[in-house]
Amino acid sequence: MSERLYINADEAKITYREFARVDMQMYDGRVFTDLEPRRLFPLSGLTKYITLIDRDMKEVAIIRDLDHILPESRQALEKCLDEYYMIPKITAILDRKEKNGLLKYKVDTNYGIREFDIRNRHSDIKNLYDGRVLFRDSDDNRYEIPDITKLDKKSWLKINIDL
Amino acid sequence: MDDAKPLINKAMPDDARGWVESQLCDGEKVLFAVVGDLSLFEKYDACTLIVTNRRAVIVDKNHENGFFSAVFSDVEKVNVKRMYGNARMNFKMKSGEEVTVFRYTYAVAELCDVAAAFIEAVSRGEDIDEQLEIVSAAYEKKMRVCPKCGRTLIRPGAECIKCQSKGKIISKLFKYVKPQGALLIIALIMSMMSTALALLPPSLTQRLVDDVLPNKKEGDLITIVLILLGSYIIGTLLNASRGYMLRIAGDRIVRYMRNDVYEKAQHLPMKFYDKTSTGSVINRISGDTNNLQAFALRISQEIIVQLFMLVGIVIIMFLKDWKLSLLALCPVPIVVLGAKYFSRKIAPFYRRIWKRWAAVSSVLTDTIPCVRVVKSFAGEKRATERFKKYNDEWYKVDVSSAKITTTFPAIVSFVITCGSLLIWGVGGTWVIKGFGGLTPGLLVAFLSYVSMFYGPINFFAYLSDSYQGALSSAERVLDILDAEPEPDFGHGNCPEKIEGKIEFRNVNFSFDRAKKTLSDINLTIEPGDIVGIVGTTGSGKSTLINLLMRFYDNYDGEILLDGQNIKDIDMGYYRSKIGYVQQEPMMFSDTIFNNIAYGVPDAHIEQVINAADVANAHDFIILQPDGYDSMLGERGVGLSGGERQRISIARAVLKNPSILVFDEATASVDSETENQIQEAIERLIYGRTTIMIAHRLSTLRKANKIVVVDKGRIIECGSHDELMALKGKFYRLIQIQSMSEQVRQQKEEEHFE
Repeated sequence: MSERLYINADEAKITYREFARVDMQMYDGRVFTDLEPRRLFPLSGLTKYITLIDRDMKEVAIIRDLDHILPESRQALEKCLDEYYMIPKITAILDRKEKNGLLKYKVDTNYGIREFDIRNRHSDIKNLYDGRVLFRDSDDNRYEIPDITKLDKKSWLKINIDL
Repeated sequence: MDDAKPLINKAMPDDARGWVESQLCDGEKVLFAVVGDLSLFEKYDACTLIVTNRRAVIVDKNHENGFFSAVFSDVEKVNVKRMYGNARMNFKMKSGEEVTVFRYTYAVAELCDVAAAFIEAVSRGEDIDEQLEIVSAAYEKKMRVCPKCGRTLIRPGAECIKCQSKGKIISKLFKYVKPQGALLIIALIMSMMSTALALLPPSLTQRLVDDVLPNKKEGDLITIVLILLGSYIIGTLLNASRGYMLRIAGDRIVRYMRNDVYEKAQHLPMKFYDKTSTGSVINRISGDTNNLQAFALRISQEIIVQLFMLVGIVIIMFLKDWKLSLLALCPVPIVVLGAKYFSRKIAPFYRRIWKRWAAVSSVLTDTIPCVRVVKSFAGEKRATERFKKYNDEWYKVDVSSAKITTTFPAIVSFVITCGSLLIWGVGGTWVIKGFGGLTPGLLVAFLSYVSMFYGPINFFAYLSDSYQGALSSAERVLDILDAEPEPDFGHGNCPEKIEGKIEFRNVNFSFDRAKKTLSDINLTIEPGDIVGIVGTTGSGKSTLINLLMRFYDNYDGEILLDGQNIKDIDMGYYRSKIGYVQQEPMMFSDTIFNNIAYGVPDAHIEQVINAADVANAHDFIILQPDGYDSMLGERGVGLSGGERQRISIARAVLKNPSILVFDEATASVDSETENQIQEAIERLIYGRTTIMIAHRLSTLRKANKIVVVDKGRIIECGSHDELMALKGKFYRLIQIQSMSEQVRQQKEEEHFE
């Protein structure tokens, strides 16, 4: 097993390539191209431990923390991650209905207004301890309320029953 | 193709319709369209992929001129990239350029997969009609939804199980209450009799105060006391008998309900258990059914009794004094409105309490059976902390709900007490002033009735509380009772003989929409073949077996057994013909004998002994102090891994299956045990179709066909020699393993010395 390559700070320069992929040039001259950044902890660590995977789905390196790398590199990576991970942030609950055993939600998100169904309120709505609420709809799409305490009262009253 | 209407998943948006109306060329017609839900620049928007007989067009405002068009002959490849919650379709053009043309969420991902395959195939020059048939099948599957709830149906025209059984919770509970009808009716009559008896004492008290005591009628006093004693004795007998009957009826209700939930839980597909923790299922079977039993009794008994009491008291009160009765009714609206408010407030708490409790149960079911692992990793403290954390969460929610649940009754009591004070104040004044002929006896009797009157009022006020609790329990129990069971369309179809020919045809499967676990699996296994499936961890080997075992049925393509689709064969019969030996053999809390005879409960003792013998298990069983009667724990405490494995092989031997499946049966045992197990396996597989997933490639020496799986695809297939000559993945795996095998043997020898 070869030693894992960790990127801690400015030892690598990462540039956006296309289609949510990047190229990476190390300070020692090594060059890795066509890499796909993915979060190792998509729920609990949005900016930490970003793995870079090559075309053969082999990990090339891990970035320990986006906050510690070069600003341009960070920008390139964030662009890829934003493209790859689509977890719309719910800003308001516009409607909530219960029909035929399905919860029908209409929400406003940073991607626009969306309607979706929740099959099982027990397993598909997760109330995390940091105030986040995660939803998984009947098509396996994800949504997030970043901070339940910041929702307006009307929205809170609608969602409260499912938390 | 000419007259067919275009296939479409939902109404086309205006811009796409506009494109179709204005841009189609002569002779060009729309074959199908996918109306997506995301724009290229990540905003929810209805964008459309339109596929005609000549080209693919994507209508999205973010493309130049509002659309992108590519004739099939210009497209070299269509790449679909599934990401997290969204996917992207890229066209690689023959000019070398690659461009992202369409973005969408998982809502239309399956249709887009098929569309991409269609475009690519037609670009390669494949027959358009043939390809359209595949697309058409995908649309049919996608559109196979329940018109009421939108759930995907298991086959066209199937009744939606969720909707079919949908109804009021009470009517569902009635199914369990109905068989206890006779007992409950007798108990109800008894309740009404005891309630009627309870209405008697205040009237007698009134007579005592107003007539018997002031006029010193000793004879009447004794008569009234005896009547009261008689009514108390009858009341006590009635209540005791009623309590006994209700207990019996209640126990029967919960017994049948638990049986049903447990039975249903056995027939739920694996995907249900993938998403639901076992702790939560256990909680539903044990705790929630109890809640429902209590509620079923409440609604079938108490409501009627309390209503009867309420009406009786109101009539008596109005007959005695209508003015005081109206005073007594003053607090009722406050109590009723308060109950409504309380019900709305308390509902979310019940759900939260249950969620937290389910989390606590999950920790229990995780850690208690795995106590050895916990101890071996010195994880006691961590396990305790984790348990405490979840238990504290439960405590917090329970305490916050307690604020409401305790405050409300206190307020109700206060309001009721105020009502009594009002009657004392006003009634007492009327007695003193001799107003309206109100006597002291009537006032005392009236106050007794008022205190009884608030009993039913209180009951109905709290009914919402227990109703909310029961509603929450009912939801979770019905979640299991109404869940779609494993589909068994071939029920009753038990072919006389199973030869053992297995075919996978174009099988594709994914656990969720994020990643395909198996892609384009095509494999034929002849009867009697010994097939080894190899591949790195996570390559899809076990998933292949899971599909063959019908643990998951929602795959595309077909799996055939002797030419018949396995979905069309009776599921119980089908599985009984497969002997399945897992890597981690699970032992039931039962004797060794019953563990071996699990699949054939009526097996003769000697059959079980023979099976144990074939599995090389008999020799160690006879050395156990209790022999075949030795009790095994949940994970076979007291036996080594190899011993448990041999018992599980004996279990498979006893079934005399036509097909044998070994899922890394020797992965976690030492060389000597492996040899013993291998010997048992070799005895067992003779003449049977055998599929072996092997981690150690040395165990595949008997295999006449080896299938190499990588990233969900079959990449190599052939005999050992053929694959070695190929010098591909299998060759590399063999090389790596022979090196590590040498090291392992060396270490084992050192240890032995």
